[in-house]
Amino acid sequence: MAQQNTTPNQAEPSAVGEYAIECRGVTKRFGTVVANDGVDLTVRYGEILALLGENGSGKTTLMNMLSGIYHPDSGSIRIAGKEAVINSPEDSMALGIGMIYQHFKLVDVFTAMDNIALGTPGRRLPARELRTKVEGICKGVGLTIDPAKRIYEMSVSEKQTVEILKVLYRGQKILILDEPTAVLTPQETDKLFAILRRMREQGCAVIIITHKLGEVLDISDRVTILRRGKYIDTVNTAETDEQQLTELMVGRPVSLEIDRPEQGELNSILKAVDLTIRKPDGAIAVDDVSFEVRTGEILGVAGIAGSGQKELCEAIAGLYPAEKGAVLYRKENLIGKNPREISRLGVHLGFVPEDRLGMGLVASMGMVGNMMLKTYDAPKGPFIDTAPAREQAEELVDKLSIVTPSVDTPVRLMSGGNVQKVLLGREIVSKPSVLITAYPVRGLDINSSYTVYDLLNEQKKDNVAVVYVGEDLDVLMELSDRIMVLCHGKITGIVDARTATKDQIARLMVGGKEEA
Amino acid sequence: MLRVIKTEEKTAKQMMIIRLAAFVLALAAGGLFILALGVNPLKVYGTILSGAFRSKMAVQATIKVMIPMLVAALGVTLAFKMKFWNIGGEGQIIMGAVFATYFALYHADWPFFILFPVMLIAGIVGGGLWALIPALCKVRFGTNETLFTLMLNYIALYLVAYLQEGPWRDPAANGFPKIPSFAASATLPKVLGVQMGWIVALVLTVIVFVYMRYTKHGYEISVVGQSQATAAYAGMNVSRIVLRTMFLSGAVAGICGMLQVSGSDKTLTTGVAGGIGFTAIIIAWLAQLNPFGSLVVAFLFAILEKGSSVVQSDFGLSTDCADVLQGIILFFVLGCEFFIRYRFVRDNARKAAAVKGGEG
Amino acid sequence: MKKLLSAMLAATMALTMLAGCGSPSNAPADNGTPAGDKGTAEQTGKFAPIAKEDIKVGVIHITDPAEGSGYTYTHDLGVQGMQKNLGLEDSQIVRKINVNDSDATAIQTALEECVEEGCNVIFATSWGYMDYVEQMAAEYPEVLFAHGTGYKSNGENFTNYFGKIYQARYLSGIAAGLKTQSNKIGYVSAQGAENGECTSGIDAFAMGVESVNPDAKVFVKVTGNWFDPEGEGQAAEALISSGCDVIAQHCDTANPALAAEKAGVWAIGYNSDMAEKAPGAVLTSTMWDWSVYYTKAVEDAINGTWDGSNYFGDMADGLVKLAPLSDLCTDGTADAIKAAQDKIMSGDWDVFDGKTELETNTGEKVTLNGADYGTCTWYYRNVEVA
Repeated sequence: MAQQNTTPNQAEPSAVGEYAIECRGVTKRFGTVVANDGVDLTVRYGEILALLGENGSGKTTLMNMLSGIYHPDSGSIRIAGKEAVINSPEDSMALGIGMIYQHFKLVDVFTAMDNIALGTPGRRLPARELRTKVEGICKGVGLTIDPAKRIYEMSVSEKQTVEILKVLYRGQKILILDEPTAVLTPQETDKLFAILRRMREQGCAVIIITHKLGEVLDISDRVTILRRGKYIDTVNTAETDEQQLTELMVGRPVSLEIDRPEQGELNSILKAVDLTIRKPDGAIAVDDVSFEVRTGEILGVAGIAGSGQKELCEAIAGLYPAEKGAVLYRKENLIGKNPREISRLGVHLGFVPEDRLGMGLVASMGMVGNMMLKTYDAPKGPFIDTAPAREQAEELVDKLSIVTPSVDTPVRLMSGGNVQKVLLGREIVSKPSVLITAYPVRGLDINSSYTVYDLLNEQKKDNVAVVYVGEDLDVLMELSDRIMVLCHGKITGIVDARTATKDQIARLMVGGKEEA
Repeated sequence: MLRVIKTEEKTAKQMMIIRLAAFVLALAAGGLFILALGVNPLKVYGTILSGAFRSKMAVQATIKVMIPMLVAALGVTLAFKMKFWNIGGEGQIIMGAVFATYFALYHADWPFFILFPVMLIAGIVGGGLWALIPALCKVRFGTNETLFTLMLNYIALYLVAYLQEGPWRDPAANGFPKIPSFAASATLPKVLGVQMGWIVALVLTVIVFVYMRYTKHGYEISVVGQSQATAAYAGMNVSRIVLRTMFLSGAVAGICGMLQVSGSDKTLTTGVAGGIGFTAIIIAWLAQLNPFGSLVVAFLFAILEKGSSVVQSDFGLSTDCADVLQGIILFFVLGCEFFIRYRFVRDNARKAAAVKGGEG
Repeated sequence: MKKLLSAMLAATMALTMLAGCGSPSNAPADNGTPAGDKGTAEQTGKFAPIAKEDIKVGVIHITDPAEGSGYTYTHDLGVQGMQKNLGLEDSQIVRKINVNDSDATAIQTALEECVEEGCNVIFATSWGYMDYVEQMAAEYPEVLFAHGTGYKSNGENFTNYFGKIYQARYLSGIAAGLKTQSNKIGYVSAQGAENGECTSGIDAFAMGVESVNPDAKVFVKVTGNWFDPEGEGQAAEALISSGCDVIAQHCDTANPALAAEKAGVWAIGYNSDMAEKAPGAVLTSTMWDWSVYYTKAVEDAINGTWDGSNYFGDMADGLVKLAPLSDLCTDGTADAIKAAQDKIMSGDWDVFDGKTELETNTGEKVTLNGADYGTCTWYYRNVEVA
């Protein structure tokens, strides 16, 4: 496979470091699906390797084989120069591999120290000794953490730090991180990268799995690219750029420009006034916010995950109670009404929730069943009418080139991109005047993401008021007309996306004041 | 070393083969059990089949056994489709029977064509209300429906015990605590040699199928069962759907109770439900919550039940042995669901040895 | 399949014919089958004779005869005795066991299956089966049904059978009355005063006690259940702790006798000879020999003499018996019992003759005819409810 490279020699590291991991021709099949097809991957001690690929390209499968969850059907894996068979996560740990998953494996009620010591072989160190040791490790890589703090009191970034400490404490020299920046603020990402660089200096081998090109270029020494389970290439980071990486990843030249059509008729259509939302546990989710949504533009919503985006969207859609304030659609207050009452008011509200299969769609039903989710009640009498829904579903399949064996195949069996097309497509078919989308491209491959951007822009051109809640600042800045930034439920600023800078928004995300 | 891994979705044909294999294995394991008792298993299995079909009367009896199983399974199906774990079929059957019995005892002077619909409605109301109690508490206070419905079974059972010891005791029974037998006007006539409950059961099967497949209510049940968040998103009133569906689930169970007292037992006894509320869960589950599937599975269960009872008298095997046999078959058939979703893989021994070399 | 069936049928016929040759002369000699059945035997039957090899007998038991004592065991001994007396094949007896008498469906299924398996005579042994037997008899008029201990019948194919067990109870009362030192005798009863079967038995027993010991009192404790192993033992323990030193019983298990043995007092058994279970306590037992009735009933079916009348056997028939007295009995017990038994056997006297005025424990004067035992809801004057 490697021989297909156009620049094969550049791909091999020039440094003299020993291979920490050396995978050759690793193949893994699930039934008829080939998840990994002859994949080569090498990483040396003292090197950061980025593993790049779209969703479904086989990154996670490969990592699961390194961590002992799956077994390769063929091919060899060598760890520290020796042939290895990894039968279980225990084996993997013993071989010096530390995995950091997107979902942390920590005991919430334990302290950082307890979590770090948990599951390590041998007798447990006395608390003081343990503390000294942990603090020593922290100092070594420039980490700051209070070893006595309990996990449930920690921020996401602190939890990630604990995970890294766990790896270091066990003396594991190979660190694999699965999409580690997805949950971090830009500042936290920078901090993480600084730590990773320190670890590299100390001779660790690091693999970082990601699909964010900017990060790849920022942190890695080399990049290994997978596409649809196949090994494509390994390139030196210094000798590549975003365009080349995207082409390798997607398999054809892709324009990375996101269109931003001119704004349409700007009429205020939805107005939030002094809106305050409290979660069931009493915490404030949205804190006294006021803003307006206008037709013919895309309002981007930026913010660290959990800053109140979800509650805000759901409150507007009639799915979450508000404590105070109003959401006015023309003259009607939507707060206190359920979705059906809202739609009876003549409000055409489209909503693409964050949880697509758990809220926006019925996972076990096919497209037909899902198309009528909001309209099943329309025909008179006790019976449902599937004929129009079937027609709509078939139209949608054609229009958005949705890949599905049939319109009756349960949507949970469809790929993430196709699921989102069904959901977004249905909301658009209902001809909304306001379209709220929460993280609509999360987990989607580049092609699907661009389909989504195009669809949203089309809506904007049709004078629909579009709300786009996103996590990727680059996308937000290219797609939106205005960006509203949330921090701890408060609006810290609403900026013009055409003129704002990334730094400015990043500052607002962590509560900085908007600078005039 | 064996490991368990999740498999991809199987085709309908593969699933049928797995289930069939499970059934054959169950017969084999059951056969070993029978052999251990010193009886020829082939003869026993033959007797089960012939016991269920050997004569017109046997077939009629088998169908009679099937009626309550089928109706109760239909009731369970409604709630389970909504993922409301209604373990209270037993109690709902009993309460349907109690309500219907009231009219049978105190309005026996009414003609059959009036008394029958009244008792049917009483059964619906009795079972439905009994199911509504846990649904209300679930919707209002978030109580656990599994425990709640289960506990209500015992309350219903002891209510019947109270009625037969006290207010409804048959004065003509010489002190034996029993409720009087129903007058002819309160008993279901036989059609083709079986109490006419079988017609009700078949009609209900079609109704429940249509209700779940083609009505707005049925659609709502499916959505709520899949995700309450989705249901709320679609503008559905989840509480109302839960209450309505549980009422209907209990109501169908109540019909089962009414058919039992008026069609089969012709009186009310503490044995009116006799575990059918639980068997129904297994039937509905094996039938994948499909009403016509329940029809088939209930019939198979009826064969097993009826046939086992003949095995008991023909081979002198205790009725408990028949229960063990049923248990074995259930164990395998339910256990095979595991193999529909997962499979075992064997680790390569050569590689297992190699890991030692890789350590350190 | 058909071939096999006909072969088996032929074999069965051959065997039964062989067995049939020897049986008629043996049967009465072995088991004291009544020679002339008090006015019923000579009537003409209402059903055509059934060839002996075509007879198939169904029996519905409330528990499992394998228990080895008590009600169901006693009935099954009777069935076995009948089978032996008449020389029937094992395949000619269909037993349905553990048929709960409060589960209507189970009772019906059991009865229906007997019919379905070709039974032409069906015995239902427990009280609770009565109404269902009545319904089945109406549905299958060609099948002969007999129900034990109840009161319903239709004079055709649905009859009732029971016996004068009170005669044996009277005699056992003599043994208890002579034995007691505390003059307190306990009696564990399955049902309360409203149940004539229990109550008439208690009264007869109390009269037997009084005939030899006018100072002794009989204390009754009710369990409320025909088959309640735990409750029966507990009732006996309660009676013993209140000072009773002889425990009699009308319930299904031997637990009262066992409780008495454990406490070092004495007991009167019921149904089967409970001296086998509690040899250290049992003075004697009142017993049924149901083979007497079962043999007669099936013989009636074979001979075509089934006349649809109810059966109410007595001590003279051999249906009701007293187990051999144990060595624990007070001297002179045997003689006292013999004297009373002779009176009863001769037919000169009966405990309940329908004429003699008896005094209840509330001071009323009543009479009772033995056949009307079911109407007896009063306790005799020396009885108290504990």
